[in-house]
Amino acid sequence: MELRGIVKILDQNYKVGDVIKAKIIIIHKMDTGFTKDKESGKTIPRFYMKEITAIYNGTRVGHFNLDVAMSQNPVIQFPLRVTGAGTLVIDFINSNGEKAQKSVEITPAG
Amino acid sequence: MQRRSFIKGAFALSAVGLINPMFFGHALRAEEEAIEMPVEDLLRDYLSGKEAENGSSIMQLNIPQTPENGAVVPVEVTIKHPMTADNYISNITILATKNKANKAISFDLTPANGIAYLYANVKLGQTQDVIILAKTNQGKIFKASKTVRVALGGCS
Repeated sequence: MELRGIVKILDQNYKVGDVIKAKIIIIHKMDTGFTKDKESGKTIPRFYMKEITAIYNGTRVGHFNLDVAMSQNPVIQFPLRVTGAGTLVIDFINSNGEKAQKSVEITPAG
Repeated sequence: MQRRSFIKGAFALSAVGLINPMFFGHALRAEEEAIEMPVEDLLRDYLSGKEAENGSSIMQLNIPQTPENGAVVPVEVTIKHPMTADNYISNITILATKNKANKAISFDLTPANGIAYLYANVKLGQTQDVIILAKTNQGKIFKASKTVRVALGGCS
């Protein structure tokens, strides 16, 4: 199954030097391993989004270790200081080792 | 140390799993097993012998007091702390004290973030305290918490 996620910049009309916020939305289960399937009665195995790394023009601006107390379809917002035009690349890894990558352009005005 | 005994216990459990074919599939994949770790252990690991300072004056928490649904509780924290090259917040962690799985998220920051801020949605199984921990690169630890009343639990 392909990992689905969205990355976007919440601010508009920002300049170099401003602090902007990026939002990550991931479509992913966060199965704790404690719950049971209601029909079969079997325990649903632990399966969750595990690690997210944010890299902006080669600089790591965020590393997230997620655990199962996060909601299903985790949403994260984090800040970063604009140093120039470039790309914010987000890498995802889930607990099964499946990987995905999303990116968003950072285009400061002026 | 409790974690070590937990691991031993987990091995014992997997041994039981090998005998009992019902659990056979789960015993093979340790990663898939539910991991229950007391919040005290997580706190002790995070503090690693240090004392946490009361962070309620510098941490601005934005968490609904009575969320409609425990499955999605937005937790927003802004920390008023310098983010310079030699003095910055290097980690923000969110813990739910009474979930079976306490840890929600750990965020590693650098001065490139500009401010210390994190928004994340967590699930809360019942009414409980949400603890926010923040660590600076100089080893200071700040702690703040808020009680959140949950009518409809997020972990069934």
